[in-house]
Amino acid sequence: MRETYGVVLPGMNLVDLTGKLIVIEGTDGVGRSTQINLLKPWLEQQGRAVLETGMTRSSLAGGGIKQAKEGHTLGRITLSLFYTTDFTDRLENEIIPALRAGFVVLTDRYTYSLMARAIVRGIDPAWIRQVYSFAPKPDAVFYLRIGVDDLIPRVVFSRGFDYWESGMDLHPSEDMYESFRKYQTALLAQFDVLGEEFSFEVVDASADIRTVFERLRAGIARVLSGEPREPLFAVPRPKETVEEAAKAEEAGEAKVVEVPAPNKVTAAGE
Amino acid sequence: MKRYGEHRFPGKLFIVEGIDGSGKSTQLMLLHQWLQAEGYGTVFSEWNSSPLVKETTRRGKKKQMLTPATFSLIHATDFADRMEHNIIPLLKAGAVVLCDRYIYTAFARDVVRGMEPKWVRELYSFAVKPTGAFYFRVPLDVAMKRILDGRTGLKFYEAGMDLELADEPEESFRIFQGRILEEYEKMVPEFDLTVVDATLPIEEQQVQMRQIVKAKLAQAKRLRVSP
Repeated sequence: MRETYGVVLPGMNLVDLTGKLIVIEGTDGVGRSTQINLLKPWLEQQGRAVLETGMTRSSLAGGGIKQAKEGHTLGRITLSLFYTTDFTDRLENEIIPALRAGFVVLTDRYTYSLMARAIVRGIDPAWIRQVYSFAPKPDAVFYLRIGVDDLIPRVVFSRGFDYWESGMDLHPSEDMYESFRKYQTALLAQFDVLGEEFSFEVVDASADIRTVFERLRAGIARVLSGEPREPLFAVPRPKETVEEAAKAEEAGEAKVVEVPAPNKVTAAGE
Repeated sequence: MKRYGEHRFPGKLFIVEGIDGSGKSTQLMLLHQWLQAEGYGTVFSEWNSSPLVKETTRRGKKKQMLTPATFSLIHATDFADRMEHNIIPLLKAGAVVLCDRYIYTAFARDVVRGMEPKWVRELYSFAVKPTGAFYFRVPLDVAMKRILDGRTGLKFYEAGMDLELADEPEESFRIFQGRILEEYEKMVPEFDLTVVDATLPIEEQQVQMRQIVKAKLAQAKRLRVSP
C-alpha cells in the first residue's frame, strides 16, 4: 500500500496503486518541461503508458488560478490554498486513477514546489507541510538543481522574467532582475531544505539537455525496475539527525526511528 | 504568518453558528441594527462572498465535481481570501465585524464529509479568534420544520447528496444536518462557544446576545459612521 505524509483523504484507496509516481522538481526555467517532453516518448517506446501532469492544470481550479494571477490580487494564504485545491483535484481525478491503472505518472512539480513558494512568501512552514500531509509519497523525486547564476541567462534568453517567478509580489519596488535574483536565491535555498527532508535525488541541471536527460533516464529506469536507489544519488542526511536517530534507537524509542527520517514530515502537526 | 489565535487589532469580531433553521441569521441582523444604533462602525462579512474564488466554487458545485477534499479546500481558499482582504483590514480599521458562519461551519461540514478533524482545524489555523462566538442550539426537528416550511428544493451539496445518505434530498438533508449538529456539540467545549437556546422567543435570545456583546465591547472605541 502506498503511504501518504500523514492523513488519508476520504474515499482515497491507496491499495493496488501499481503505477509509478515520478516527480520532476526544480525552479522556474530550469528545464523541467523540456525533460518531460523527452522522457514521455522514451517511456512510451518501452511500452509504458504515461500520464503527464503539472501545476494549475486541474479542470476545477486551473483556470481560476490563471485569472487570479493576471489580476495579482490574491493574498498569500489564499493563493497557496488555491494551488492546494488545484493539486488535490488533479491528485484525485488524474494521478490516483492513473496509478491504479498501472501508468507511469510523470508530474511536473509536486507539493514541494508549492511548499517552497509558499514558505518564501512568509507562510508558516509547519502549516503548509500539514496542509499537504495527505499527499501520497512518490516513488522518486528528481530535483533539477541549478545555481541562480546559471539560471538567469536561461530565463533571460528564453521567455524573459515573469512577474511571479521574479517574486515581484514580494519586492514590488525593485526591478525584475534584482527581484528575480533575490527571490530565486531564497527559493533555491528552500528547495535544498526540502530536498534533505524529502530525500530528493539531485540532478545537476547546469549540464546540457542531453546529459540531464541521460541522468534522469538512468534514475527512472532504476525506479521502474524496482532496484533500490544508488547511494551515490542520495543526499546525505545531516550528521546530527543520524546521531539522534541512533541515540533514540538505543533508548528504545522505536516510534521515532520507525520511518527513516528523510521521508517523514517531522515539522508538521505538533 | 499569524497562527490561529487572539488578534490584537482594535476591531472586534462576533460570529454566529448553528444549523440551517436555527435562527442565527435573524439574531445577527438584530444585533447589527442595535450596534449601528449604538454608534459602532459595524460591517457584515458574508460566507462565500469572494468574487475571485466564487466562480470556481460555483462551477465545481454546478457540475458536481467536488470531492470532500476539494469541497473543503475551495471553501478554505474562499475563506482565506475573505480573511486577508476583508476581515483583517476591517479589524485593523477598528470595525465591529459580524460573520454569519465562521470556521466552525467548515469544521462541522468537512468532518461529516470524512475529513480528518485535526487536519481541518490546522487548515484554518490562519483565522483570527472571534471576540465572541455564539452557537444557536436547536433540536433537529424544530430546525427542519422552520426550513422546509419556507422553501422549495434543496441544493445538491446543501442536502449532503454527495454523501449518498439517502435518495430523497429531504431525507438526506435531515441525516446530514443531524450529523452536523453532533459536530457542533463537540465543538462547544473545544472552542468555548457561547450557547444560545434557539427555541426561546426571538427577543429573549437577542437580549442575551446583546448583554454578552456589550460586555465585550466595553473598552472598544465607537467608530462613528454616517449611515
